[in-house]
Amino acid sequence: MGKNSKDAVYSAELRAIRRRKVGKAIQTVVAVIVTLIMIFPIYWMVITSLKTQQETLLMPPSFWPEFGLQFENYITVFKKANFSKYYINTVVMTVGILVGQVTTGVLAAYGFAIGHFKGRDILFYIVLGALMVPIQVTFIPLFIMCSDWKMNDTYAGLILPHLVSAYYIYMMRNAFLSVDSSYIDAGKMDGLGRLGTILHVLVPMCKSTLITVTLLTITSGWNSYFWPKIIARAEHRRVLTIGLTNLRNTYAGQGNVNNHEIMAGAVMAVIPIVILFILGQKYMMTGYSKAAMK
Amino acid sequence: MSKKTPSSGTQVKTRGMNPKVKHAWLDFSFVVPAIVLLAIFTYYPIAEVIRISFTNWDLLKPEYDYVGFKNYKWLLTGTGGKYFMNSLKVTLIYTVGEIAITVVGGILFALLFNRPGSKGYTFMRVLTFTPRYIAMSSAAVVFLWLYDETYGIFNYFLGMIGAEPIRWLQDKYMAMVSILLLTGWRAIGYGMMIYLANMRSIPETYYEAASLDGANGVQKFFGITLPLLAPTTVFLLVTTFISSMKVFQSVDVLTGGGPSRATEVLVYLVYNYAMNKFRMDQACTIALALFAFLLLVTVATMKISDNKVNYDA
Repeated sequence: MGKNSKDAVYSAELRAIRRRKVGKAIQTVVAVIVTLIMIFPIYWMVITSLKTQQETLLMPPSFWPEFGLQFENYITVFKKANFSKYYINTVVMTVGILVGQVTTGVLAAYGFAIGHFKGRDILFYIVLGALMVPIQVTFIPLFIMCSDWKMNDTYAGLILPHLVSAYYIYMMRNAFLSVDSSYIDAGKMDGLGRLGTILHVLVPMCKSTLITVTLLTITSGWNSYFWPKIIARAEHRRVLTIGLTNLRNTYAGQGNVNNHEIMAGAVMAVIPIVILFILGQKYMMTGYSKAAMK
Repeated sequence: MSKKTPSSGTQVKTRGMNPKVKHAWLDFSFVVPAIVLLAIFTYYPIAEVIRISFTNWDLLKPEYDYVGFKNYKWLLTGTGGKYFMNSLKVTLIYTVGEIAITVVGGILFALLFNRPGSKGYTFMRVLTFTPRYIAMSSAAVVFLWLYDETYGIFNYFLGMIGAEPIRWLQDKYMAMVSILLLTGWRAIGYGMMIYLANMRSIPETYYEAASLDGANGVQKFFGITLPLLAPTTVFLLVTTFISSMKVFQSVDVLTGGGPSRATEVLVYLVYNYAMNKFRMDQACTIALALFAFLLLVTVATMKISDNKVNYDA
């Protein structure tokens, strides 16, 4: 009797272990399939960008370029579609937004976190309130304003409305607040002024937040679509995001769609950001999880 | 806010202005650029949106008048109402879909890809998150190519399993699904990462205790994991809702609001009235309705999340 029940427990345990093993194997199989599905569009983008036009129209499609890798597609796009101009425009816009948001953001964060003046908290609420006003709501007056100032199709028009980011100020202020005041006092003893305190005490101590938020500024600048579409419609001021869509429009008119070239353009448009993400992966992930803890 | 003791620096006597006042002005000067820019590029425009909504401003005409609540009547009961309600419906459908993908999909992915210590799983997680790195502008043209009716790979795959080809972007119902597939593809890995980061912070002892009580995996998930992830879920819910209400780019590239307005989301409607019909008054009125919606949801969720979801997990 006793022996039997012991056996029963033993075999039940064995079965449980086996079930767990099978479960884990199924999990892995499903996980692998899901991963493959998720990365397939990226694979297809890259592979199409390296095919000849005829090969993109093959049925059944080829899953690997059979006529050699057509790297000249990239050169063609650069020449044919003003891609170099789009690139320059995007870089100028992104750098302008970056410089603006970092400067105004860090200065204001200092004022709100460390500074003391009447109305500070009210002004900070005004900054927070701006978080709730998206450009999709305010773009009409902004567009009229920029037109009045003759800023259509200019870098100024692209950059100016994005010179300050309430989110940037908010994040940096929180980071600055977390710095113990004894460090700031010690800096003052050493004769640091306000700017010195920012550069030599606060920024080094809040490096990871600064990098995370700045990376977000760069990517959102580089990828911005809505405002450029409204303010920079002329060919010579188009940015990559808009140019890429227009690449398709231009070619569609010619009768056959040049998807191999569009995909080459798509790859080129994302490469800078992908590199940035890889370099800053550590910071991006902590940034995401930090945001989620709130 | 913590009170700070006056540091030695403030006690240095300066000639002229009272040093305390001088310091306050200097501190204030640091926030001036940001405040001025926000005033010009955020607060003044929102006031303008309100003002323009009371006019009959057609950009093609030289002048305009104030017409009271005419545009609001037009929006609620007039001819504009039909398109507005359609856009509201379309936007809400999109929003619900996007939330479902980010929250439900995110948590399912988090469970699927959760195996601590496994390098292979870490690698798969990175790959699953990669679509987030592909900017929407690139992702959208890639999906246009995937959706291509004749040469697109999606219809080829369907053909392989013997299914009829789908008119991804021309069909009234599929157009929205196609947009959701694109945006969901980029969002689901993000949801997964957020959930995983917070799942890992749940103490192992909770699960051990539950095991001793004889709880199985499903019970543990619904009894421990899900409730403790409530703050995360609320965070994703709110941020996804707000970003979904503002969706524009994927619609603009994939469908242009069509077919027959089936994907004409609110921002697209505003954009159309402003940039194609040049009716600034009507565009501003719709934009204001969108803004009111966003404000309402933000304030409501702030209240709810303050009261209910405050587990210190």
